[in-house]
Amino acid sequence: MLIKLTGGTVYDPASGIDGQQQDIYVQDGRIIDPPTDGRPVDQEYDLRGKVVMSGAIDMHTHIGGGKGNIARTLLPEDHRMDPVPRTPITRSGNGHAMPSTYVAGYRYAEMGYTACFEPAVLPINARQAHMEMGDTPIVDKGGYVMLGSDDFFLRMMTANKDQKAINDYVAWTLNAAKGIGIKVVNAGGINAFKFNQRKLDLDEQNSHYAVTPRQILQTLARAVQELGITHPLHVHGCNLGVPGNLETTLNTIQGIDGLPMHLTHIQFHSYGTEGDFKFSSGAAQIAEAINSNPNITADVGQILFGQTVTASGDNMRQHANHRFASPNKWVCMDIECDAGCGVVPFKYKDQNFVNALQWAIGLEIFLLVQDPWRIFLTTDHPNGAPFTSYPHLIRLLMDRSFRNDMLATIHPEAQKMTTLASIEREYTLNEIAIMTRAGAARIIGLKDRGALSAGNWADITIYTENADRQAMFTKPDYVFKDGELVVKDGQVVKVTWGTTHIVKPEYDLSIEKDLKPYFDKYLTMKLGNFKISDDEISEDGRGSLTAHPLRGAA
Amino acid sequence: MTTLTFTLKHFPAQRVDMSPLICSKLEGLDANAICAIELQNGKSKVRVDHLFYVTGSNTQDILIANSSNKLDFIGKELDGGSISVQGDAGAYLGLQMKSGSINVSGDAGLYAACEMKNGLLQINGDAGDFLGGALPGNKQGMKGGTVLVKGNVGQRAGDHMRRGQILIEGNVGDYCGSRMLAGTIAVMGNTGRYLGYAMRRGTLLLWNQPQLSSTFNDCGSHTLAFLPILFSSFKSLDSRFADAQAKFDRVRRYGGDMAETGRGEVLVRI
Repeated sequence: MLIKLTGGTVYDPASGIDGQQQDIYVQDGRIIDPPTDGRPVDQEYDLRGKVVMSGAIDMHTHIGGGKGNIARTLLPEDHRMDPVPRTPITRSGNGHAMPSTYVAGYRYAEMGYTACFEPAVLPINARQAHMEMGDTPIVDKGGYVMLGSDDFFLRMMTANKDQKAINDYVAWTLNAAKGIGIKVVNAGGINAFKFNQRKLDLDEQNSHYAVTPRQILQTLARAVQELGITHPLHVHGCNLGVPGNLETTLNTIQGIDGLPMHLTHIQFHSYGTEGDFKFSSGAAQIAEAINSNPNITADVGQILFGQTVTASGDNMRQHANHRFASPNKWVCMDIECDAGCGVVPFKYKDQNFVNALQWAIGLEIFLLVQDPWRIFLTTDHPNGAPFTSYPHLIRLLMDRSFRNDMLATIHPEAQKMTTLASIEREYTLNEIAIMTRAGAARIIGLKDRGALSAGNWADITIYTENADRQAMFTKPDYVFKDGELVVKDGQVVKVTWGTTHIVKPEYDLSIEKDLKPYFDKYLTMKLGNFKISDDEISEDGRGSLTAHPLRGAA
Repeated sequence: MTTLTFTLKHFPAQRVDMSPLICSKLEGLDANAICAIELQNGKSKVRVDHLFYVTGSNTQDILIANSSNKLDFIGKELDGGSISVQGDAGAYLGLQMKSGSINVSGDAGLYAACEMKNGLLQINGDAGDFLGGALPGNKQGMKGGTVLVKGNVGQRAGDHMRRGQILIEGNVGDYCGSRMLAGTIAVMGNTGRYLGYAMRRGTLLLWNQPQLSSTFNDCGSHTLAFLPILFSSFKSLDSRFADAQAKFDRVRRYGGDMAETGRGEVLVRI
């Protein structure tokens, strides 16, 4: 079927198109060049006066994995208060902060998102994460595999294994767990927590393995680089949420020796210790460091006010933050020596000084980082706010007077501690398209996604131009996924199933000689069961795998 | 004005959500409007007059006759007025009720008086598990008012209870007063295992010696002057708790649960 999208105003930063009126043709799921053979158009959409972008990509959102189910179990009231009835084409579900898988997929699609990436796939729980993402309809998905606090890796570090052996282990794990990138959470800190360390600075040794977070980050960043994985090492830094962690973050940036590194939810890592409350914004220094280090990318992890739940692998910091749990219940646990998990419900309040300043710090970082290709729009769903708040966040970025109106309502001391009011920048539609589409596809290493030029998959979102950007981004007119119309007027009209994006770096099979006895001796499953086969993703008849090229392999 | 009576026509195959039929929501509605209210019945919605014969007009005095244990959420958020149930009630009887009274002649299901705030709820038969408890995930159960059960009660009576009193003439199951924050539970019959499990504060007043966990400490025998005053407050109830013979003031006191803050007490009649 040949589809023509006529006369829309196209924002396609990947092709350098910034708001030009263009026709787009779609056939067999992909965007094609205008046909020259005169064959008839089967379906035409008149998009004059409408904004056309590729489907949005959330590069960091917790939509799969065990912690989601722990959060759901911990917060039945979150589900009870937000029921979603079934329709003839969609299934029922519920949940505000941590929605059920089906509802997460529908709601993402209804906001114009066509791909979501789960940033904390514990290798030993990867099967469950993929099953859960396999139940998330419409959107494409993928995961970053979590390493750095696992016992096998730390043993290798202690034993001074060479980089080649580490690379083999990283590549083997990435293949076995079917990820598209490598994530580190509080490098080594999750493990140190189990040896009763309650904080771990960048150069502080794990008391058992005598390894520092800096060594872990350098080793893994080098592995990612040498294996040719496009997505830079995805780093959730040390000292999340600690006043003064700004220094740690700056040290982390300097300490990576120019290797590519992605700093995730950097808002939580940009705090100073100035002012009467010993809590201040480090956004200016952090933005400056990002601006001057082209190897660094970041997503913000913006907080927005309201009830949510924080779900993180960082059990060390979650344990420290449990005192702020609202409602007062929380979970911290070890996950089979592989990593950890902490789930703490949170209610961010605009009249709370710390929360209000966190809100301002996130926005400062968005606005002070100059290159939209290196900063990404996230709330670290659900940790800063549920993903359904993205349209509101976009409006805050694009509309200075709206932003300042909101700023005037937050805790007065927080207002005094932020430079937000003086920042004039307003994001343009093109910059939003970079941050949520082209840039995200590039940083994850997605081939044929996040762009509207011929040859790309036809993931397309169409909005009605509206000065109220929140309204505009809340309800797209049309969303196409792989060339099929899945959402019309903000409502799902067809349920499709996205693919799972992975990379397959090569490794020396002999690594299994070391791993097999380790699995037999220490772990709860055998090595053969640990590895997820391709069939497990596709055997339900709707899942599929899409392997992306490594860098330099094109 | 006569009692507004809903007489169940036949035993429903699926559960019925009765929450629309409370005094404040029916006030000012005529018979036709009340008959036309739709109730969730399993997967479908049915009109009130499909399930019930409706007679009478006093919306502040409701009778549910020929009732069955499939009728859930009777008196949900009741705010004034009275509801009588002839027969059994389903789950969530008097959920979050604010004031008024509910009287059930038969048994009640799970979660009766769940998160109740005030008023009087009387069950003349037995009550199920989680009497006066909290909805799953919520941190506070019953917050006020009086619950009187003449029969026996299931497990977890007063789970997360915050305030108010639960009076039980019969026996209670395991975990009575578990995770209790405050309030009073009085039991004339026998109690099950794990009495007061993880209770923080509050009072369990017992007629019979319970089997106590090792995390409760014996604090000796006492004559407590407040007990006669407490019993006097029961005088107006239609209950054995109102009998003059029921009164006592000598108790053995146990403090716990020491695995929690340990400021709760179990008082046993001696």
